[in-house]
Amino acid sequence: MVLVGVLAFGLYVYYLNVLVTHRFEGLRWTLPAHVYAAPLDLYAGLDLSAPQLEHELQRLSYHPVTDLEQPGTYRVTGTRIDVALRAVQFADGSRPATVLSVLFGPTGVQDLRDSTGREVPVMRLDPLLIGSLFPIDGVDRIVVTPQEVPPLLPAALKAVEDRSFDTNRGVDPWAILRAFWVDLRSRRFEEGGSTLTQQLVRSYFLSNRQTLGRKVREAIMAISLASHFSKADLMNAYINEIFLGQDGNRSIHGFGLASEFYFGKPLSELDLPQIATLVAIVRGPTYYDPRRHAQRTLARRDLVLKILTEQGVIKAADAQVAQRQPLGVTNGASGAYYPGYLELVRRTLQRDYPEKELTEAGLRVYTSLQPRAQELAERSLDAQLQVLDKRHHRRDAKLEGAVVVTSPQSGDVLAIVGARQVDFDGFNRALDARRSIGSLVKPFIYLTALETGRYNAATVVQDQPVSIKLATGKFWRPENFTRRTYGPVPVVRALAESLNLATVGVGMDVGLDKISDTLTRFGLEQPPQQVPAMLLGAIDISPLEVAQLYNGLANGGFRTPLRAVQSVVSADGKALKAFPLQVTQVAPTADVYEVDSMLEQVMTHGTGVPAMRILPPGLVTAGKSGTSSQDRDSWFAGFSGGDLTVVWVGYDHYQPTGLTGSEGALPVWAHLMASLGTRPLEMPEPEGVTETWIDYQTGMGAQPGCAGTVPVQVALPIGAQVTPMAGCSNGTTAGTLLDRAGRWVHRLVH
Amino acid sequence: MKKMIAAAVVVGLLASCAVLGPPVPQTPESTPGNPQGPGTSQAPGSARPGTQTPPEGAPAQAPPSPQQRQFTLGAAAASLVGVAHTQEQSRNYGVAAETLERALSIEPHNPLVWIELGRENILAGNPTQAYGMGRKALYLASGDPHAQASAWQLIAASLRAQGRNDEAYAAEERAVALSPN
Repeated sequence: MVLVGVLAFGLYVYYLNVLVTHRFEGLRWTLPAHVYAAPLDLYAGLDLSAPQLEHELQRLSYHPVTDLEQPGTYRVTGTRIDVALRAVQFADGSRPATVLSVLFGPTGVQDLRDSTGREVPVMRLDPLLIGSLFPIDGVDRIVVTPQEVPPLLPAALKAVEDRSFDTNRGVDPWAILRAFWVDLRSRRFEEGGSTLTQQLVRSYFLSNRQTLGRKVREAIMAISLASHFSKADLMNAYINEIFLGQDGNRSIHGFGLASEFYFGKPLSELDLPQIATLVAIVRGPTYYDPRRHAQRTLARRDLVLKILTEQGVIKAADAQVAQRQPLGVTNGASGAYYPGYLELVRRTLQRDYPEKELTEAGLRVYTSLQPRAQELAERSLDAQLQVLDKRHHRRDAKLEGAVVVTSPQSGDVLAIVGARQVDFDGFNRALDARRSIGSLVKPFIYLTALETGRYNAATVVQDQPVSIKLATGKFWRPENFTRRTYGPVPVVRALAESLNLATVGVGMDVGLDKISDTLTRFGLEQPPQQVPAMLLGAIDISPLEVAQLYNGLANGGFRTPLRAVQSVVSADGKALKAFPLQVTQVAPTADVYEVDSMLEQVMTHGTGVPAMRILPPGLVTAGKSGTSSQDRDSWFAGFSGGDLTVVWVGYDHYQPTGLTGSEGALPVWAHLMASLGTRPLEMPEPEGVTETWIDYQTGMGAQPGCAGTVPVQVALPIGAQVTPMAGCSNGTTAGTLLDRAGRWVHRLVH
Repeated sequence: MKKMIAAAVVVGLLASCAVLGPPVPQTPESTPGNPQGPGTSQAPGSARPGTQTPPEGAPAQAPPSPQQRQFTLGAAAASLVGVAHTQEQSRNYGVAAETLERALSIEPHNPLVWIELGRENILAGNPTQAYGMGRKALYLASGDPHAQASAWQLIAASLRAQGRNDEAYAAEERAVALSPN
């Protein structure tokens, strides 16, 4: 009987031995895909101030110093910032650690030099890690090599967790006996006495249940591991494996990620008190959570420092200095955690990669995200919604919002805000809220009208009651927002003031099928239902899709698919997939130019006027408001020369907001555009178009200074007939000498 | 294959049409800069400026003649274009395109960068995209006959690579008319 027992135990030990060695030899951690923001290019002429660069550096966890030391530090001297850049891997190659001097002038970056004083034309900052695509079990880690581990860390781990690590055979019998005695006295498991190897076994192979059977199994496996592998291998595995914290549904494994998670910098840059803090956390990542239990963690860190001194690992003087330091943990992952954007990244990649590859293969994903634009978008939405909440308070609901910012020329999605609570990984309104776009559709109606050749900005259309018989036999009788009619108005005014009746008249004349075709050309995914109500924006799409449509307008009639991901690189640095810029002309540039010039008038004479109080002087923009029926949705979409921004404001459950596009979304849009530091809109004038002065009220030719007129400059096809206003203009066709003179003066003035 | 070879030849000609200076073969992170200052257009004027407020009164003088301008690359973009040329020599077209996209993010309205990117697309076997970039460059090159000619050259090359020879011929005619030398 005993023999059978011994034999069975022997087989069990053999089985565990094979299991452990087999799995450990092929040890490959599942590595989530790590997602990076677009790195900032620095060059002479860049509109970036010294404080803004400092902010960018701090976001990347660079630290100010008086003498440049190790990579990850910078020094400010007057108008110069010297940066010790870290070695970094980009999508297209790597950069060694290097020193860069950035000199600032009144308009931004004036000069870049390397450490030898040579001029540098362009230099990228590090790409900011903005998140990981981790599997359902939430395990996230950054694997570090032994060379990336500061020597103090293994020394400290041994001193605090396992003093006999270098000599024991995986278990420490004395430590186990001591723990057994403590447990026996208290009649419960209080002390573990586990070696680092046992902790590694527990983390990698076993559950966390405290049973005698598991302890025996753990000990056997630890002995097996220690007998087959070197201490250096075991220490490296421990440093990469051990659990060190929880961030929502994401578990922080390994010291590499813990260093980024708690201190926002690579493990190799940690100092003594920070290493001591991580070693303190090992004992109980929840109990010693430095963000939730700072005092408790501080006490444990100081105890670690004391032990390290007693064990001769550090000098007493260094420990004293370290004990005076605060914990120094960052405010949390939210500083560079953009779940709204990450969701778009995940969806983009899911088209090409199975979930397992995304979450386990250690891919590096380089995105278009611009952290500064993202932060400003989050801030603008939150601040303006707070203001709106006070004015339009509802007890049963809270205003929500979404923002999309793109770079029209490249189609890069610079920022996505999917909710007010930006760090909450919930319903992403920027991607998934399909809401009625209201008057945002109007520029595409007028573009279609211009394409027929029968309309231009000065064409007089009738804003009058409309009654359209529907297929159901009922009549559709839309109204203007003001419930008034405006009679004959030029197209530019109909668009700028978003007159519904005039637009429906034009739309019905042009044809719903043609308008649907225009929208599809510009990127609408599903052709709209061709009913008259589509002329007033009864088209339910997401803010991201609106951004795709308006991107074509901001881009001179060229469609550029929006992209969040630029490239994917394998764990070993091999380029796997690129998402190159694409561009296709989808409308004549002259017609788009004319529409865009009318959208400029929206900002100066129409529904965009309130933005002019917020935007800096000289920042030329073009845009359009949108309001769905009963004010359920408040939209604004508009662009400058460098950025396109779409804002939606509303309630999740479709209650009326009492806000038009100008009242709800526009303030968010304007504050964001004002803070982005974007460049003014400057469109190259296409062939066949000329700038012409007309009266905004009547569409008749009118020069600046003409009494009783509101002269506006619009783009018209050369040769377009413009009725002259008596005593005001002697021109009858666009592009006359006087028009050109007016344009010339205008340029002199501005 | 013949189309690809023909495209490569045309691209070579396009490159030699010298809208850009000689390549700067070093990596941008470590190269000395181009002494040229930043800027894309020596005489901006045909781009539409803001039209927010009308001026008071009109001048008695005659209006100016149509504005001409000449696009150039700033030091940063020129350096990146040079790097892209080096990457292109080792047939690393994808990486070269990424480098040019960096140049584009610095000078998004400069037709010369779009022409470079289009050229890269022809080399990489994407003439349809090159055509779109040629059209985009042409749109941006308003007022610069030299840049317009280069854009037409790119359009012609992209059309030829697609086998649309008649259209390519017409595009070349446009290029020659704009820049007979």
